Amino acid sequence: MLELTAVRKTFHDPAGAHWVLAAGLDLCVGPGETVAVLGPSGSGKSTLLKMIAGLEPPDAGSIRFDGQDLADVPPERRRFALMFQDFALFPHLDVQDNVAFGLIEQGQRRAQARARALELLAVFGLADHARQQVWKLSGGEQQRVALARALITAPRLLLLDEPFSALDAELRASLRDEFAQRIAAAGITTVLVTHDEAEARAMSQRGFRLAAGCLQRLW
Amino acid sequence: MNATGASRWPTLGLAALPLGFLALVVVAPLVRLSTVALADVDGAILAALVRDDYLRWRLAWTVLQALLTCLLALLIGLPVAWVLARRSFPGRALVLRLLMLPFVVPTLVAALGVLAVWGPRGVFASWTGIQWQDTPWLLLYGNLFFNLCLVVRAAVEALERVSAARVAAARTLGATPWRAFWRVEWPAILPWLASALCLVFLYTFSGFGLALVLGGQRFATIEVEIYTLVAHELKLAPAGLLALAMLLLTGLVALLYAWVERRLGAPARADHIARTRPSGLWQWCAVWLALLALLLLCAAPILAIALQVLLAGAGAWSVLWEPETLQALWNTVRFTCAALVLATLLGVTHALAARRSTWLRAAAFLPFVVSPVTVAFGLLLLYPAWSASLPLLIGAYALLAYPFVANALGAALDSLPPSLAQVARTLGASPLRVFWRVTLPLVQPALRRGMAFAAATALGEFAVTLFLSRPEWATLTTLIYERLGRPGASNRAQALVLAAELMLLALLVFVLIDRPVRDRDGRRPLPPYRAAGLPHA
Amino acid sequence: MAHASFSLPKPLLAKFESDAGVKLSIIKGGDAGEMLNKLILTRAQPIADVVFGIDNALVVKAQAANVLEAYNGPAGQRPAVVPLAAGVVAVDYGFVTINYDRAWFAKSGLALPRSLDDLAQPAYRNLLAVMHPATSSPGYAFMLSTIAGLGEEAAFTWWGRMRANGVKVTKGWSEAYYTEFTRNGGTRPLVVSYASSPAAEVFYSKEKLTEPPTGSLNLKGAVFRQVEGVALVRGGQQREAARRFIEFLRSAPVQEALQTTMWMYAAEPGTARPEVLRHAAEPTAFDNPPVEAIAARGADWVSRWTGVVLK
Repeated sequence: MLELTAVRKTFHDPAGAHWVLAAGLDLCVGPGETVAVLGPSGSGKSTLLKMIAGLEPPDAGSIRFDGQDLADVPPERRRFALMFQDFALFPHLDVQDNVAFGLIEQGQRRAQARARALELLAVFGLADHARQQVWKLSGGEQQRVALARALITAPRLLLLDEPFSALDAELRASLRDEFAQRIAAAGITTVLVTHDEAEARAMSQRGFRLAAGCLQRLW
Repeated sequence: MNATGASRWPTLGLAALPLGFLALVVVAPLVRLSTVALADVDGAILAALVRDDYLRWRLAWTVLQALLTCLLALLIGLPVAWVLARRSFPGRALVLRLLMLPFVVPTLVAALGVLAVWGPRGVFASWTGIQWQDTPWLLLYGNLFFNLCLVVRAAVEALERVSAARVAAARTLGATPWRAFWRVEWPAILPWLASALCLVFLYTFSGFGLALVLGGQRFATIEVEIYTLVAHELKLAPAGLLALAMLLLTGLVALLYAWVERRLGAPARADHIARTRPSGLWQWCAVWLALLALLLLCAAPILAIALQVLLAGAGAWSVLWEPETLQALWNTVRFTCAALVLATLLGVTHALAARRSTWLRAAAFLPFVVSPVTVAFGLLLLYPAWSASLPLLIGAYALLAYPFVANALGAALDSLPPSLAQVARTLGASPLRVFWRVTLPLVQPALRRGMAFAAATALGEFAVTLFLSRPEWATLTTLIYERLGRPGASNRAQALVLAAELMLLALLVFVLIDRPVRDRDGRRPLPPYRAAGLPHA
Repeated sequence: MAHASFSLPKPLLAKFESDAGVKLSIIKGGDAGEMLNKLILTRAQPIADVVFGIDNALVVKAQAANVLEAYNGPAGQRPAVVPLAAGVVAVDYGFVTINYDRAWFAKSGLALPRSLDDLAQPAYRNLLAVMHPATSSPGYAFMLSTIAGLGEEAAFTWWGRMRANGVKVTKGWSEAYYTEFTRNGGTRPLVVSYASSPAAEVFYSKEKLTEPPTGSLNLKGAVFRQVEGVALVRGGQQREAARRFIEFLRSAPVQEALQTTMWMYAAEPGTARPEVLRHAAEPTAFDNPPVEAIAARGADWVSRWTGVVLK
């Protein structure tokens, strides 16, 4: 269970202006729950996810997971998976190695990790692409590979940063359903950040809007 | 201390190695020399320097020829690079490697080669009756000969990263190929070009080398003045002031470059433009024209040397097997390897530490900005006991070589999307593992380019002769200069043979550093870096 | 510590090492002038025990800077063919003069110049290459001999005329000889070099020449006698070994060998002269300014020269 308490973050740009991205945010996400955070671009949604992942420190406030304060835990030990709008697949590795990446970091041997990756790709219907270079896949396929890469490490929390913004409308709809189904099957706590309300409603149980650093409950 | 990826401590730790090295080898000697020099400075000396017309003219000439060289290098280098980047033809990879040979050729040998082509008894003169010795053209030619490769290779790498989707988008929006170049490709390659041109400017500003030999003392630059004042007249006071002025001027250039790079450097977006075989007459003409330009500017003197070597006869060739030569060959190899290792280490740590700091990026140019003779004499003052020691020699090589690694790597690091490293962290990789498994493989082509130039610099031993040397450390370059320090046709022939050996060694080194990589399963070579970016522009 | 042109056969040096029981470590410090400056700069913590290459143009400066220590051993007591200074032992001597390309002059039909004044005539325009006295020791020597031969004022007037007559100035001897001299593909058939260079051309020729392709001009005011010597470095450590090295340099095998490795004439009287050196006859006359004048006015002369010829 994820708890954010009184989290503050202000962004200072080199020109001297500053924006308040988070002003005393509180958020609780229960186990297995999917929560959506909506808002226009630049409102700080991505930064919120990065703070949860540990890639950026909050200015004030605490982030706890299952009771443990995460302030001194580096990103690689939090076991929170993060997915990006631009898929962020490693171009120098093929599809199978991309999916196996996290398993190798967990200490598995390469051959074993690749075998498990192949199994998961088969479940996703992507086994044929296993040894291809990642840029040869379509956008939808790439994002599904990214999901496989994230899920295979059995993360405690899944963070999705506008995962479908780079895809066209039709694809978005079908992918949204597939992702919702797989996430539910895996039972992973998820925070979804998006600007598309329909998508948010379809995938999450609770939704908030982030505006001027505060979260307003929408449903 | 927070535990996130934005911690400042690793950055400072990384910066410690290169900054410590610079402090020890450059800053401390300079400070020592300045305290000695400036102790004698008073208003009179300063006034005399400022009022000296000769020095003002020297300064003006120094700046002028550096700017002209940059302009010519850009005008000639960019089209050539465009052809090399966009068209594939047999021998293309070899051409890119051969391009770097001018860096390795000792200055005097290069002068011999240039004269063999363009001099009064040269090939060109025998065809057309025109010879260019004693003209400023030969000077600019000399500068271009050495520096064109910097611009071309940087431009090739930059052009290879341009997003195909963006160019296609521009074309479909109605832009002609020329406008598409101007509005899409040019802004994308500007950071790389700026970096290369800054290096060219700094090199030609220092003014040693081919231009001085070909043009004679009339066209000497301020650096030569400083050299004369320090090494031969021991007038440290005016030399110190001049060196300070040079430092400020070139420091400005370095800062300007660092600022430009930070502003313009942006992550690469989508897949790159594939190379195509030339089709049609015009495209083949373009390829041939580019190759002709390279031939005339860079290859001709080297070919002339090669020809003379082939015709040199057994007496000259026998120098290759003499024990002295073999020892020199061994020295060249081991010094270059040691310098390369040190330079790579320094360059990598510097580039990683300098990602967010303009000052640190500018500091990477410090070895080019300071006058080598002041560093050499400062070192002599500061560490006299170590002045003729091997570590200092290797340090001197590494000093002049590592900026290439740092700059090439810096540009490549800029173009990596930050999301890749972030994703890797969340998948469980510590910062060191991220560097090893994600960053390094992706910047590897740029790192190899930087290392190749670093190796070329170490082999070419630019300005290292200012330091004290021992005969047991004689390298191939030392032997060449020894031969050319005595009269006699066989000395000349032997010097050329040794130069040819040096160039072949260099080519071997380039091939080793730059060879295409096969991934672990032994499949075909990886293409240049592509980012899996947004599918549309 | 030696200058860059120091060269003796390895077996001789090895024999010295085994005879004296010391390890010989040679540090090359560039041109003779550079080398002396490096010694001066490090005089608080000397980097060598003995220095070779102090010549008559530099010796007073070296003594004034207090970097040398007098040596009065046997080698110093024996008279040399040419004198140097007290405490510094002469090892070899040579002559800086103008060399000309025989083939070029034969082909062009131009008569060889017979005086410095001739060189400033339009007929000899753009034919001479000299070295910058500030960066080259033969260049410096040549300038000194013009001053001694013509007198100071007349010399600088001559240099001014030479500037108008297209004299080419290079940084060092290698650049002048190998890129400007017509023998090596340049445009200048007259170059400042050494009287021994024609002999070296024969020795190092590819086709085993019998006659040198170049010759020495030996004009009045254009010949400088350079005497090189070896001395102890003040503050150096290995005194005994240094003394033995000085003796070694004046010993017969070394004196014979250096004639064809460094192309200088031997200072030890009675040394056999190799066959090839008959092509390098010693000039009969030379013009050296007095040693004290060189020490006192040398730097001024160089500055004035730079002003007259380059600025």
